[in-house]
Amino acid sequence: MIKSLAFLCLPLLAVAQKQTTVAIRNAKIVTISGPVLYKGTVILKDGLIEAVGENVRIPAGAWIIEGDGLTVYPGLIDGLSTVGIIPPPVITPTTTAPATPPARGPEDRPRTTSWERAADKVRANDPRIDSARNAGFTSVVTFPTAGIFAGQGAVVNMAGDNPSKMIVESPAGQYMTLAGAGGQGAARGFPSSGMGVYAYVRQIFIDLDYYEKTKAAYQANPAGKQRPAYDRALEGLKESGRLLLPAGSKVEMERVIRLASELNMPFVLYGAQEGYRTSEQLKQGKVSVLVSAKWPAKIPNGDPDAEESLRTLEVRENAPSTPAALAKDGVKFAFYSDGQTPVEFIKGVRLAVERGLSHDDAVKALSLSTAEIFGIANRLGSVEKGKIANLVISKGDLLAEKSTIQYVFIDGIHFVPSPDAAPATVAPPGATGRRPRTGDQK
Amino acid sequence: MRFALYLLTAMATFAETTIVQNATVYTITKGTFKGSVLIEDGKIKQVGLNITAPAGARIVDASGMHLTPGLIDAHSHIAVQAGGINEGSVSVSSMVRIEDFVDPESVAIYRALAGGVTTANILHGSANAIGGQNRLIKMRWGKSGAEMLFAGGPPSIKFALGENPKRSGNANGPVTPATVLRYPATRMGVEDVYRQAFTEAQAYQKTWADFKGGSSTVEPRRDLRLEPLVEIMEGKRLVHCHAYRGDEMLMMMRVAEEFGFRIATFQHVQEGYKIAKEMAVHGVGGSGFSDWWAYKMEVVDGIPYNMAVMTNKGVLAAVNSDDAGLMRRLNTEAAKTMKYGGLTEEQALALVTINPARHMKVDDMIGSIEVGKSADLVVWNKHPLSSYAVPQKVFIDGNLYFDRDQDGSERVAKETKKKALEEKSKTPARKPSTNEDR
Amino acid sequence: MKIAKFLLFTVPLVAQDSFILRNVTIHPVTSADIVGGSIVVANGKIVELGAKVTASKSIKVIDGRGLHVYPGMINCATQMGLSEVTSVRESNDTNEIGEFLPQVRAVVAVNPDSEHIPVTRVNGITSSLVLPASLSETGRGAGTGPQSILRGQSAMIHLDGWNWEDMAISRNAGVLMRFPAIVTRRAAFGEGAIGTPIPYNEAKKTYETELKKVEEFFDSAKHYQAAKMAKAAGFKLNVQLDAMIPVLEGKVPLLIAAQKERTIRDAIAFAKKQNVKIILLDVTKPGKALDVIKQNNIPVVVGKPTSLPEDEDDPYDASYSLPGQLYKAGIKFAFGTYDNQFARNLPYEAAFAVAYGLPYEEALKALTIGAAEIFGVSNEIGSIEKGKSADFVVTDGDPLEVRTQVKMLFIRGKNVSLETKQTRLYEKYMNRK
Repeated sequence: MIKSLAFLCLPLLAVAQKQTTVAIRNAKIVTISGPVLYKGTVILKDGLIEAVGENVRIPAGAWIIEGDGLTVYPGLIDGLSTVGIIPPPVITPTTTAPATPPARGPEDRPRTTSWERAADKVRANDPRIDSARNAGFTSVVTFPTAGIFAGQGAVVNMAGDNPSKMIVESPAGQYMTLAGAGGQGAARGFPSSGMGVYAYVRQIFIDLDYYEKTKAAYQANPAGKQRPAYDRALEGLKESGRLLLPAGSKVEMERVIRLASELNMPFVLYGAQEGYRTSEQLKQGKVSVLVSAKWPAKIPNGDPDAEESLRTLEVRENAPSTPAALAKDGVKFAFYSDGQTPVEFIKGVRLAVERGLSHDDAVKALSLSTAEIFGIANRLGSVEKGKIANLVISKGDLLAEKSTIQYVFIDGIHFVPSPDAAPATVAPPGATGRRPRTGDQK
Repeated sequence: MRFALYLLTAMATFAETTIVQNATVYTITKGTFKGSVLIEDGKIKQVGLNITAPAGARIVDASGMHLTPGLIDAHSHIAVQAGGINEGSVSVSSMVRIEDFVDPESVAIYRALAGGVTTANILHGSANAIGGQNRLIKMRWGKSGAEMLFAGGPPSIKFALGENPKRSGNANGPVTPATVLRYPATRMGVEDVYRQAFTEAQAYQKTWADFKGGSSTVEPRRDLRLEPLVEIMEGKRLVHCHAYRGDEMLMMMRVAEEFGFRIATFQHVQEGYKIAKEMAVHGVGGSGFSDWWAYKMEVVDGIPYNMAVMTNKGVLAAVNSDDAGLMRRLNTEAAKTMKYGGLTEEQALALVTINPARHMKVDDMIGSIEVGKSADLVVWNKHPLSSYAVPQKVFIDGNLYFDRDQDGSERVAKETKKKALEEKSKTPARKPSTNEDR
Repeated sequence: MKIAKFLLFTVPLVAQDSFILRNVTIHPVTSADIVGGSIVVANGKIVELGAKVTASKSIKVIDGRGLHVYPGMINCATQMGLSEVTSVRESNDTNEIGEFLPQVRAVVAVNPDSEHIPVTRVNGITSSLVLPASLSETGRGAGTGPQSILRGQSAMIHLDGWNWEDMAISRNAGVLMRFPAIVTRRAAFGEGAIGTPIPYNEAKKTYETELKKVEEFFDSAKHYQAAKMAKAAGFKLNVQLDAMIPVLEGKVPLLIAAQKERTIRDAIAFAKKQNVKIILLDVTKPGKALDVIKQNNIPVVVGKPTSLPEDEDDPYDASYSLPGQLYKAGIKFAFGTYDNQFARNLPYEAAFAVAYGLPYEEALKALTIGAAEIFGVSNEIGSIEKGKSADFVVTDGDPLEVRTQVKMLFIRGKNVSLETKQTRLYEKYMNRK
């Protein structure tokens, strides 16, 4: 059935349809920010939501969508992703001398590209954009992800032929990893251990503070003073405004929160799968988290006789109940895909719903909460007047297994959902990435 | 439930009033007698032949049993999560802290606790001349990482001499242009690392002194690598130095003296017996294995008489484990010093209780059964130096953290729980998702 | 000379090295303890023991008043004489290169002047099994070729002697085999380190390929054996395959390191199929395979009781209590330290087993006669009995207690000095002013 439909739709795949004014009437509207409207109307105009309500006048000339049996949701947001950033081709390591000597301390700013911006890297031709949109994701928060200070993220709308029009917000925070490079010796440089990374993070924030002070003093009165050296790592760090820190287990969360509380910058944890054990602490500390919807699974083709620890079994059993626990305790959280395809991602969210999270809370954790965490709730995340017209309209509860997405609007532009064909991961350019289709005017 | 647990954690310090009665009490510092110990608010309140149990107190009848202070392991690497115990990329890694990576859920904690250990110094590894900052922990099994940390006592740092810190200076296999060698490759270079680092630290100390004293208006940059070195020179941070050979220990003492500080302990200290006289003058402690030897070149002269010789020659000695397995039987490790070198029972027990506490300058809090000290206690079924002694109960701050009977009964419940989860996990697994490179 | 009164002067022909050890409590292990007894030794053998024994008037008398005599203990897993300093390659003669080396003999490489020998024996360990290689299931030898499977012949030696020929009790006490287990994790180093997983299918395929190779080798050994027996025309002596004949005949066991249930089951199934004798080494977590071990009467050298439990959820005392479980299951077992460095601590390994459930007498037996029986040398060593080699230790108490001092040591009747490199260093530096 689905197959044959897909066949019929083929010529219309992911076709963007521009329409100045759109009215969806008599639909159920899950606004997320307010009460559900059971028979409401949404007006989209010039890329924005012009009106939402039960008694809304439909402007003349609008394209009218009959909403009976349909539900309108805010467009979904993937809270942490790499969609839009096409990875550079893999460079095979050579045995000749390394281009740069390994770092010898924090002063060498190891594995740091804090100045790099996702906004500058996003390409409209990433095939994953199509698959995200098809699954109802109208925005993603995308990040460079390599390094301790990997770079600054951006909130990106999943439509457009021009990256500059796709960016909703930049920067959206600094993506960090905290693992050491490994190795006992000197070859891979500082920091080789997690401890070394922590020491580096502490030092760079001390340096940032010192840099600001010296710069300010110099700018106030440069005459007769040594000029402070420009440090792009510190400049980039300062711009980020928010840190994204990895923490999956309870122990990691406690540890990372201790570290983050020493740093003079807001932070969000990502991972957080043992949140079912820490929701009380997260609430008390007013910590927001991005929950990975890639739940721990038994390794495929594992040893049937190998004993798994009770801890491992417990985490696997309980991790999907983390969102419900966080919702119950009032912890601000949002979901992210953690490298899964949009379809897998939604499946993961669905499991959280099975484990006690309400459907609409799940949608919230894919829309308004995400927008709040990234400080863009005044633009995105709910079906509200004045916000960006990113909507997804489904038959049935959006996340339910049997629901179908009927319409996707991004910046008020209509996209016909198409069956998903894009690969989960993106191959470097020149490999197998398929050319995206550009929108046709209707 | 979660909330209740949280509260419980927060209230960890409020111990039940407890009296341990009819035990053979090894106070370590004040003799051995048959009597009782009263615990109140986590501290030892009273020690005596006959103590009346306060109303409502938990009574532990230890008839035929033996009571010692909790054992102290001055050298351990358990319960450190992720990335290893070494920041071995550099020769001076004084900025890294074991404290950041204490893993309260490591089962090694429970196993050591079941062997009578209540306090351990978790040391940075020995990959570099100046290693990272160590962390003293208590084996409060079931508590969070922050609650494991020992409150009080001076901070410390790890130094390392000999084969380990010079290893990174030697390539395994052929040297290519891509081979990265880390200085030093010899014991000569190890000494140089110290003298360079402390010379740099002296200069750093001076820039801050100048700034604080007003002779300079330029505020210096804080350097987390040099700060601990200044603390060492100011006597605020203890140095526990991994060392095997006598010559390298002599070098270390002389370098320390040159920069105006003292080494707190030599760790492993295999050839401490060769240099005990100089160690006693410097005032350094010797903390090592009872009988390890022959696993590498620098330990071929390791002898089990080491502790006895050091003790007899005025060096404060302690026995440690450096090993999660050995850590569970420090009592019999201490007993070996009676066999080899003829220490007395009291001297032997001191090697794993008060002496390591003195090494870490926490002997006012732990290490013996004395009024006012933490109620860190072990109830043994046999003489604590016997090969057959099995800890029955272990208290930390007056709280019962290990109970052999309880352990037995909890096994069944744990197994049942595990079986149920294993059954569940046999249902077909969800398809693994593609892993995105991140 | 009160002692002399008890002597009945009836032992004829006093050998040069004969003596009587008097006034001791004898723990023969194979029979009841004798309080205030004597042992007469001649020509390296025990010739008499009892509460009242007869000896020649001219015999040398050693008074052991208040002391205890135990048979010398047997360490069933060491690299004694083959390895001096673990990390110094040049001082190691373990781990030969090659897949099937049943002909390679540990005994010929035993250095009688290894410092480990005196250090070990002064704690009452008078014999030791010398393994030609390390035991790691995943281990690779010194070479880079295929992993070694049959790693060579182990030897049972006295821990005293002028040379290996002199020290040997059994030159071929078993051929060490690395059984090709299904290994689903790569080796990892450091505390808590977990190696990366190997997919089960892949690991199983590797196992099956290796096992097939082993079976092919055994088949060729059987063909060789048949050809030799039949004195077939054109038969050519083959050193490697010839070494398999005693194995195939069941005269020499295979020593197979098998720590966990699956490997134990697979190894036993293999032994049954090939109809060879095996001894399992380093058994640490047999689980339900305990029954299989018992049913097939397989002797076991138990993993070190002081080793850490195998898995996170194992009871904290899992390793301590395993020997007690083996005993309860009726399995014949002995102890080993699997190294040289701690070979002297053998009795303390047994002591932990006692503290956690093994009857004391059984521990003592496992350290002595039990071990001798397993390795087929019980007519020579393992107990204080007439006719056996005079390998015994004189202590001031229970040898399993750490605080007990060894006072005298006899190996093949020789009163062995208690001096070691370590006592020499001790004295030298104690005397430093």
